[in-house]
Amino acid sequence: MAHDTHDKTPANLPKATYEVHAPRLPRIPFLAVSVGLITVVGSWIPLVLFARARQIPSSEPRVSFVQDMGTQPRYNAQQSSEVFEDGRAARLPIPGTVARGHLDEDDHYHHGFERVKGPDGKMVNKFFDTFPEQVKVTPALVKRGQDRFNIYCSVCHGLDGQGHGQVNEMAVEDKEAKWVQVASLPSDAVRVRPVGHIYNTINVGIRNMSGYGAQVPVADRWAIVAYVRSLQYGQNAPEDAVPAENRNTSQAAAK
Amino acid sequence: MSERITSSKRLMFPRWANYLLPAIVLGAVGGAFYLPVAFGIGASPKTMAVGYAPTQPVPYSHALHAGKLGIDCRYCHNTVEKAAFAALPATQTCMNCHTNLKPDSVRLQPVRDSWTTGKPVQWVKVHDLPDYVFFNHSAHVNHGVGCVECHGRIDRMEVVSQQKPLSMGWCLECHRNPGPHLRPRDVKVTDMNWTPGADFDGEALKKDYGIRDTAYMQSCYTCHR
Repeated sequence: MAHDTHDKTPANLPKATYEVHAPRLPRIPFLAVSVGLITVVGSWIPLVLFARARQIPSSEPRVSFVQDMGTQPRYNAQQSSEVFEDGRAARLPIPGTVARGHLDEDDHYHHGFERVKGPDGKMVNKFFDTFPEQVKVTPALVKRGQDRFNIYCSVCHGLDGQGHGQVNEMAVEDKEAKWVQVASLPSDAVRVRPVGHIYNTINVGIRNMSGYGAQVPVADRWAIVAYVRSLQYGQNAPEDAVPAENRNTSQAAAK
Repeated sequence: MSERITSSKRLMFPRWANYLLPAIVLGAVGGAFYLPVAFGIGASPKTMAVGYAPTQPVPYSHALHAGKLGIDCRYCHNTVEKAAFAALPATQTCMNCHTNLKPDSVRLQPVRDSWTTGKPVQWVKVHDLPDYVFFNHSAHVNHGVGCVECHGRIDRMEVVSQQKPLSMGWCLECHRNPGPHLRPRDVKVTDMNWTPGADFDGEALKKDYGIRDTAYMQSCYTCHR
């Protein structure tokens, strides 16, 4: 049998020795343990910082690791520029020039008044008492006017136009020295003014009120005029102008 | 168990080196989980961008002006309905009121300086998108997306901070399903208190505003060009 020959060890070979049980592994060196622990604990630090960053506002802008053309060498709207002395990237029109379409040559539509010779021969402002032909007074226009009025005018004049907007109320409450009670639009003093006068007031302001020409475009100014007229009429309307079904009967009865 | 290093053992690894293999495997597996997670959390716009609240040249309080006084956003940011850009107000807009209101306030000195010198107040932009994104305010404001959707409760902020990540993924969440983020035409886009009622129907609003299909809304060209 083959087994017999295999089992026979030649006498001239040294006897092999084996350690049957492997010895215990040595202690992990202190340095290795420390490095491991520091790594594990240290790995929490960024996570804590991230959690903190999510909770606390920062006055520093975000860090972009990859720019990816996120900041391009161009000027965005209203961006500042180091090239120009006033710091504006967008340039103001050169004095004495008029941008295309901004000649504003239509006295009635753009200004609401014209210069005419007065009785004593001097030039005076004459306000137009009609809406210009470019403006069609429709319910849609009055609605637009209401929308704009509530944005730009109501802060002082109040939603009803009587001069008790939030800004006025706070200024009066705080006893602001320079503040003057805001005018009531449905008052008789304002009701008698021609529409051109009201337009001009929106455009360039009056007494303590600043002009809103820079914030409100021409068409919207006329829409606001139309709405102011409707506020004035609505708050001074005769009772028979109100449709019968809309009349406040209890109020009528009280009178 | 100390062993004398004999000449034949000098080139062998010390016995503690047996720990290196499991240590490396553990470290590699741990790192493979840790690094992407940490990078994902750390580089996320939710960490990096949200909460950006730069110090402005004038300590203007939106909580007072837009909140307490209830001034419409468009009183100052009056280009939002027509232009891509929500304009910062001209100094004149501040002076509309502050000529007569708090005319001696120290905090308003930069505004008065700007008024007399003609040099603009250098406000710091808070919600700043990368230059390769062409966000258009008018496209959103005129189609029923309220200011609060992207800017949060500005009317409660003393100092404006960025509330939403303004990341591409965040934009797409809404572009893929705009319905729930719209408001009816008779609700002001600037109204920060509005919440949809029980009869809210986003799909009907989508039709009403003529909002395009998902393919268009998430096309690259819709925002990048």
